[in-house]
Amino acid sequence: MFSRIISRVGLFAVPLLALVLAGCSKAALTVRQSTLDPKGPVAQVQYDVFMDTVWLVLVLFFLVGGLLVYAVIRFRARPGDDTTPIVEEGHGNPLVEVGLITASIGSLVFIAIPTLSAIWYTDDVPVEAVPKSKLAAWYAPAAGAPALDNAVAEQVLEIDVIGKQWWFRFEYPQLGLTNDAKHSVPNELVIPKGVAVRINLRSEDVIHSFWIPKIAGKVDLMPGRKNHLWIQADQVGHYYGQCAEFCGDSHAYMLFRCEVLEPAEFAKWVAAQKQDAAPVAAGSKAEQGKNLFAVKSCVMCHNVGGHFGAGAFGPDLTHLASRKSLAGAWLDNRDLKAQRALEQTSPLGTESSVEVDRATLKANLIKWIGSSGVSHDANGKPTKDVKPGNRMHYYKMFNVAGLRETKQEFTAEELDCLAEYLLTLK
Amino acid sequence: MSQDAAPHAPTSTGIDHKKLIMWLFLASDCMFFGTLISTHLLYRKLYPTGFTDAAGHQQFIQHLFNIELTSFSTFILLMSSFLMALAVSAMHKGELKSFRRNVLGVIFFGLIFLGCQVYEFTHFFHEGLTIQNSVLGSTFYVLTGTHGTHVAIGILWLVLMYFYSFTGKLGGHVGALDVEVAGLYWHFVDIVWIIIFTAVYLVEYLGPSGIWGDGLPAVTK
Amino acid sequence: MSHDTHHAPVASKLDLAPERSDLGFYRPDRTTGLFDWLTTVDHKKIGVLYGAFAMLYFLIGGVEALAIRTQLARPDQTIVTARMYNQLFTMHGTTMIFLGVMPLSAAFFNFLVPLQIGARDVAFPRLNAFSLWAFVFGAFVLNASWLFEFAHLAGWFDGFAWYQALVYTDFAPANGWFSYAPLSGTFGQANAALQSPRFTGVGTDFWIIGIQILGIASLAASFNFICTIINMRAKGMTMMRLPVFTWMTLFTSFLIILAFPAITVALIELMFDRQFGANFFNPSAGGQPVLWQHLFWIFGHPEVYILVLPAMGIVSEILPTFSGKALFGYPIIVFSGAVIGFLGFAVWSHHMFTTGLGPVPTAAFALLTMAIAVPTGVKIFNWMGTIWGGRVRFTPPMVLALGFIWMFMCGGFSGVMHSSAPADSQQQDSYFVIAHFHYVLLGGVLLGLMGGLYFWFPKIFGRMPNATVAYVASGLVILGFNLAFGPMHYLGLAGQPRRTHTYHAGNGWEDWNLIATIGAFILGIGVFTAFANLVWTAFKGKPCSSDPWDGRTLEWSLPSPVPEYNFAQSPVVATRDAFTEHKHGAKRISYEADGGEAGIHMPSQSWMPMLAAAGFLFIGFGMPMMSMGVPHAGWLVITGLLVLIAGIWLWAVEGPGGYMLKTPSVASAPVATPSVAPSAH
Repeated sequence: MFSRIISRVGLFAVPLLALVLAGCSKAALTVRQSTLDPKGPVAQVQYDVFMDTVWLVLVLFFLVGGLLVYAVIRFRARPGDDTTPIVEEGHGNPLVEVGLITASIGSLVFIAIPTLSAIWYTDDVPVEAVPKSKLAAWYAPAAGAPALDNAVAEQVLEIDVIGKQWWFRFEYPQLGLTNDAKHSVPNELVIPKGVAVRINLRSEDVIHSFWIPKIAGKVDLMPGRKNHLWIQADQVGHYYGQCAEFCGDSHAYMLFRCEVLEPAEFAKWVAAQKQDAAPVAAGSKAEQGKNLFAVKSCVMCHNVGGHFGAGAFGPDLTHLASRKSLAGAWLDNRDLKAQRALEQTSPLGTESSVEVDRATLKANLIKWIGSSGVSHDANGKPTKDVKPGNRMHYYKMFNVAGLRETKQEFTAEELDCLAEYLLTLK
Repeated sequence: MSQDAAPHAPTSTGIDHKKLIMWLFLASDCMFFGTLISTHLLYRKLYPTGFTDAAGHQQFIQHLFNIELTSFSTFILLMSSFLMALAVSAMHKGELKSFRRNVLGVIFFGLIFLGCQVYEFTHFFHEGLTIQNSVLGSTFYVLTGTHGTHVAIGILWLVLMYFYSFTGKLGGHVGALDVEVAGLYWHFVDIVWIIIFTAVYLVEYLGPSGIWGDGLPAVTK
Repeated sequence: MSHDTHHAPVASKLDLAPERSDLGFYRPDRTTGLFDWLTTVDHKKIGVLYGAFAMLYFLIGGVEALAIRTQLARPDQTIVTARMYNQLFTMHGTTMIFLGVMPLSAAFFNFLVPLQIGARDVAFPRLNAFSLWAFVFGAFVLNASWLFEFAHLAGWFDGFAWYQALVYTDFAPANGWFSYAPLSGTFGQANAALQSPRFTGVGTDFWIIGIQILGIASLAASFNFICTIINMRAKGMTMMRLPVFTWMTLFTSFLIILAFPAITVALIELMFDRQFGANFFNPSAGGQPVLWQHLFWIFGHPEVYILVLPAMGIVSEILPTFSGKALFGYPIIVFSGAVIGFLGFAVWSHHMFTTGLGPVPTAAFALLTMAIAVPTGVKIFNWMGTIWGGRVRFTPPMVLALGFIWMFMCGGFSGVMHSSAPADSQQQDSYFVIAHFHYVLLGGVLLGLMGGLYFWFPKIFGRMPNATVAYVASGLVILGFNLAFGPMHYLGLAGQPRRTHTYHAGNGWEDWNLIATIGAFILGIGVFTAFANLVWTAFKGKPCSSDPWDGRTLEWSLPSPVPEYNFAQSPVVATRDAFTEHKHGAKRISYEADGGEAGIHMPSQSWMPMLAAAGFLFIGFGMPMMSMGVPHAGWLVITGLLVLIAGIWLWAVEGPGGYMLKTPSVASAPVATPSVAPSAH
């Protein structure tokens, strides 16, 4: 009977094993959010400890599992065997027991030591990394910009990450990119290559978690608590991150990106972030869109440097059209076919990314704004929410009592004008 | 009064079922109060500076407490435990009248304690400490309120037992056991109060500035 | 008091004139039919009811799981909405843990513990019935949230003023089974109506009150079982002769009574936050959401062992039986169970490695977590030692028990990987964790429990399940399970976060998600087949002997089905595995005619446990409806409290009742014939 079962299970096990092996191909290990493809010292250390546990467990698996299989086969009752129970109280064998307990403890020490060292290593920027990572060592403000404060120049770069339902806001207080200064960066984190960066984690509502698998394991953003981690990326590229703590309706849509630049490029990027938006051409669709931006209350929450400065609640839109993603990085503004092709040739999808595609961006904008208010698709059906529960519904969001009835309405024409306006914000 | 464990064969341990299950319940209740008291102490340590009243003034809990009154009610509760012990002993001797007298005393003292707590809650509420305006208010009211609920349940139990004793069915070994089990509960509730009284009230008066080191200014009440 | 209502022993309860309780009411005295099941105080019937409800909820939780897997089969699917998905995974977790595994374990506790220790019932038969009904009503309250949700989706509430005033319209809980504050709690200052701004609607209130009621049910049951095991052992049944399943029941019960208070307090605090504007977990007023996590996991981690230990106990009974050999290292197995239970309280923060505990606590909890692998490993070694040198007979229970060891071992290995906090920071909240705990709780616990069902089913119903169907079902379960959860290890390492209702194509997760979904459906078919097999057997199966497996413990010495009084005469045991010794060894079980001419004392049935528990039904509906703003819902809560108090009071004063049962002369001769060489059928 049992051999029949084994052969039946074996029938399924063979293709399963083949699948597993296929899954272990290099491409499978380097997918966008792979934890098995570390690109910085923090992720590397975490990966190394993980591999220690993997080796230990593999050894134990074959040892214990093999013994179990052997025991079951060796001691199976064969036809004709006398199966009358052996009448004897089982006391075990103290020597075997103690030996096995000692061996288990010993094997755990094997992973305990790297674990402890990695816990302290990943906790905060290590002392030895500070000299090369302090701002003075690698950061030169763009021409015309004021030099860094002396005290700041001796620090490593600190980035404040603020989590909200359902997007991330990034602020660089040492470099003047903050929400208060009307220069915050939503959803696309930008860091310099090869230096340590300290990340301060804050939440303005529920618990979120900051996770860029290729750069560092996650740490939670706890409201009422100041958490931190440090990261360093040693390879230029476009990385993918995601909120990893369940945070409500649209948790699955709370993604973000991380762009790793050469230090010089990073300085240029900082300078660009401080630029205001260019004026829109008079009489254009974009100008109509700009007016709608005010009329339809977008201005209440969104800051557009140089145009509208009242909004602080929602993402800063000053450089919206330069970002590769929209709506908490759920909608991708790039030509995805071209991007996939690129990822095929360069298996490390993080290393490069195609640029923003204008048509895709415009389509995304119309989809996003339209779905967040009341609008209808070509068949007259209400458009589906891109992100259910998001606050774009609620232009009177502080009027709690009336939340459910306060959706904005848009015509297709209005959406087009708004999108045209937002496309000018580079 | 629950007589589920009908006369049964001698137990393996010699401890009666009812007594054993009450001990188990009390073990569980220890964890229950332990969690509540820890919550209070953790938050006291985190926010040593009391609370802000409706007018926006910083208030210190020591100004609110009336330690004399609380000490009095603590003493009363302790004395009720003493009477409870007498009631149990009376029941064991089969002296039903003495039992009733003592149980009435326990109920009376328990009610005094509850009365003090009601007075205290009202007083604190008017002084500005509410369950909503601070973490301190939340932990204080929920912790002491939960204890008050335990006392109230105990009183209800004893009242029912008191009246039941007139039916003539409360007696003998089983009756004594029922009273003893109620006594266990009552003593436990008292002991918990001693701990709460220490952890919530008394520690605020340790040292010149309270145990939480909040720099308590001189009392100017 | 009036256990001596009827002095002369009778052959059947129905021979008696209807018994009046001390209150003057007639007591229920049916032995069959609906009223019997509703008023029973027989631990065996209560066990069967627990099992039936557990299987029902297993199926409901399974359907929820399949809905989840269907949604995730392909990227960017919109089969269910984001909120519905969140409700599905919340209810799936809550249902499987509190309404599936725990009650199925309780079914075994109820049915087996008195039989294994040679007792006639549990210490408090009516309290036992109360636990059952509190569980049934709590489970109903929790699942009734679905009814409200569907009514809301169908628009049935549209005309009501309270409905139009609602800000949050999720009626089924959508916080996950862990309900982390402040998502489940409040944020900001309370308004005039005492309500603080929240993130979720009444679903959370249903969850809070539902879990609270289920907690009371579990606590009451655990007090009862500890009392029973410590106090009602047959003569000669010393603690170190207890069957291992009974030992594990004892540890589980202790874990419940010590761990549940933490969640009870946490739920009370959360309820005060939501209903009365308190600030326990409200960050804007200084509350610390991390406190919720501590309280939840101080309960939540022992809960894992509450789920696992009974299955370990079952496996420790099955293995010796079919290896024809005593359990290897019995004292060490028992002791390691105690160590697991104890350490279970010291590792809760490993669920919180990513919350920023700081290096020292993280290191401490990482080391403690590694330490708990040792007693777990010891158990596995001793199970292997049991097989070693035996004669292993393959039967459905044995195959499932071996499956348990294998799957639990795999789950344990990924657990060791989590114990390393830096590695865990990549795995936490990813599909790797889902794979891990499903290997432990599904591959482990469910296989163990299924093994237990196949093992003891002949004892419960006197009928033998069809072995071929059992093998097919077990095969489907094991295959489907590995296909569903094996790939999730990879998905987690490839960065797929859990609790997300959809994902984009292009991340490399597509194929494995599809395979996992196919596996989940195979698993579902397997579990359904097994349950159908068992239900069919209960009614139509082939009758079998009272000891079909050549069992080792006292329950196999009884006829199947077991008579209501269990033992016609109380056994006196002289050794561990008493029945094996009795059949094959020198030390026989002796019996003492404790009842004698007076007969056996039987407890009377009662409506009161169910009446008292019904109070929870009113409270369970009243509290969330208050939160919805339904007018006069507060009266429902008050009614519930009054029903509860009245139920307990009537219960107390009606008296235990009881009657004396004449033992049938046939049964008075204990079953002593060694059974014929047992086969799988």
